[in-house]
Amino acid sequence: MPETVLQLGRLAYEQAGRRLLDGVSLTLRSGEAVALVGANGAGKTTLLRAVAGLLPATMGTLVATGLDPRTAPPAASAQRRLYLEQHPSCAWDQTVAELGALAGRPAAWTDWANRLALTALADRPLARLSGGERQAAHLARLFASLAEPYGSLLLLDEPTAALDQGRRETVRRAVRAWAQAGAAVLVATHDAAWARTFPRIVALEEGRLIADGPPTAALTGELVRAVWGEAGS
Amino acid sequence: MRLGAGALFGGGALLGLLAVGALAVGTAGAGFGAGGALALLRFPRVLAAIAAGAALGIGGATQQGLFRNPLADPGLTGVFGGALLGMAVLLGGAPALAWSQAWCLPAAAFAGALGVSGLLVLLGRDGPPARLLLTGLGLNAFAAAGTLLIANLAPESRELLLNGSFGDWLGMASPELIARPVLLCAAAGGLLLALARPLDLLALGEAAAQTAGCDLRRLRRRAILLTALAAAAATCLVGQMAFVGLLAPHLARALVGPRHGLVLPLSAILGAALLLTADTLGRAALPGTPVSAAAVMALIGAPLFIWIARRPHA
Repeated sequence: MPETVLQLGRLAYEQAGRRLLDGVSLTLRSGEAVALVGANGAGKTTLLRAVAGLLPATMGTLVATGLDPRTAPPAASAQRRLYLEQHPSCAWDQTVAELGALAGRPAAWTDWANRLALTALADRPLARLSGGERQAAHLARLFASLAEPYGSLLLLDEPTAALDQGRRETVRRAVRAWAQAGAAVLVATHDAAWARTFPRIVALEEGRLIADGPPTAALTGELVRAVWGEAGS
Repeated sequence: MRLGAGALFGGGALLGLLAVGALAVGTAGAGFGAGGALALLRFPRVLAAIAAGAALGIGGATQQGLFRNPLADPGLTGVFGGALLGMAVLLGGAPALAWSQAWCLPAAAFAGALGVSGLLVLLGRDGPPARLLLTGLGLNAFAAAGTLLIANLAPESRELLLNGSFGDWLGMASPELIARPVLLCAAAGGLLLALARPLDLLALGEAAAQTAGCDLRRLRRRAILLTALAAAAATCLVGQMAFVGLLAPHLARALVGPRHGLVLPLSAILGAALLLTADTLGRAALPGTPVSAAAVMALIGAPLFIWIARRPHA
């Protein structure tokens, strides 16, 4: 039986008097890939940040890979969890290869750099890349750092938003492969077509979980219009 | 093109040559003296400049990495000013105690540097790079005013404190005065080298660093304590000194890229080379009219600082 990788119980978070997460309960098991959808401001990024342990003031139950990331040592939490920010950044003028070195797994980095068409850009500073190339470089670093997918938790915030079609397809295949290898993957996305390919969709509205299930059941016409407008129908 | 670890050997060799040159040059002219007597006399001063410069360089690299801010420099952000103020408070309030034990003045300098570092974190950490620098400049001005006030109220320490404010203490270097601060510089620098990996992760931002396993609170605590220790020890050797901690990390990153495993040791080597060069030039440029290392450093550093401030940063 697949193990429980993520368990949220009535997770809530307030900021400046505004409730950004409101009683979210959710369970992810190993092998599950879940699309997290919702309109802008629905709470997708806040939920991922909370699960990643970046919002210590969150209330409710939170267990990720067997640990509460709000209180566990960061090194322990990071062992089986990856988190991709919506807008990753770098303070200095790193080259693509120098960013990859931070993954700490040279062979895996070479593989992911190749898959995401970064090999020819290895010596180029990140500041001189396009937005999509930069996002691909951060994704490659993140993916290369995962040693053992089984039982791991991947939290990806809009991972394909800036990517071209080829790199986007690579990331989609990677998400499927991670799940098949036993990871639990939670992906926030505004991409309606991609969201529909996930076996399970979780929808948020104003910090509340309003739908959870397979696309056919979760994506009601009302929800599709609320999240994607008429273009998503 | 970026150099690898070879830059460390090259930098070390350059520093060695500069040290030989510094031992051979004095205000009265060039030469080692009979049996190396003049070089022996100059040795404490040269050693003090190397130790202080290295502490300044690695302290600046750590502060820039910690704040993800290319304009951070313990000399400009008031950490040195705080160290000097700490010494001034002790010299003005309890002069007998200040000189009673060899560790009293370094401890006072450490307390002052730590106080300013703490305020800098509280007031200037988040926000654009300019906020940190402006907060630091404000703290620096406050510390300098406090030091001058105490210097005026304590006539017996006035000259000492004024010389310290002008970064002109290297001329006093003697084996007894520099032994402990040099050891503290070495200890702080050695311990700061261990922060290379977490500082690399922090370059990706606080969220990415934390989720990659970096304990940010522990990193901040260690970096601030050790930078304050390095600043305090360097202040005991040279007085207040700006620009070394700013320029050495910039030069290091230009040579070897942003990896702190190379940037931290190379910043120490380049910081030592910069301060030693400034001190040697100050002694030799105008025979009979020595100029403080801080003044020479400001002449070199200020235009470069303006250039760095005008560059676009990632």
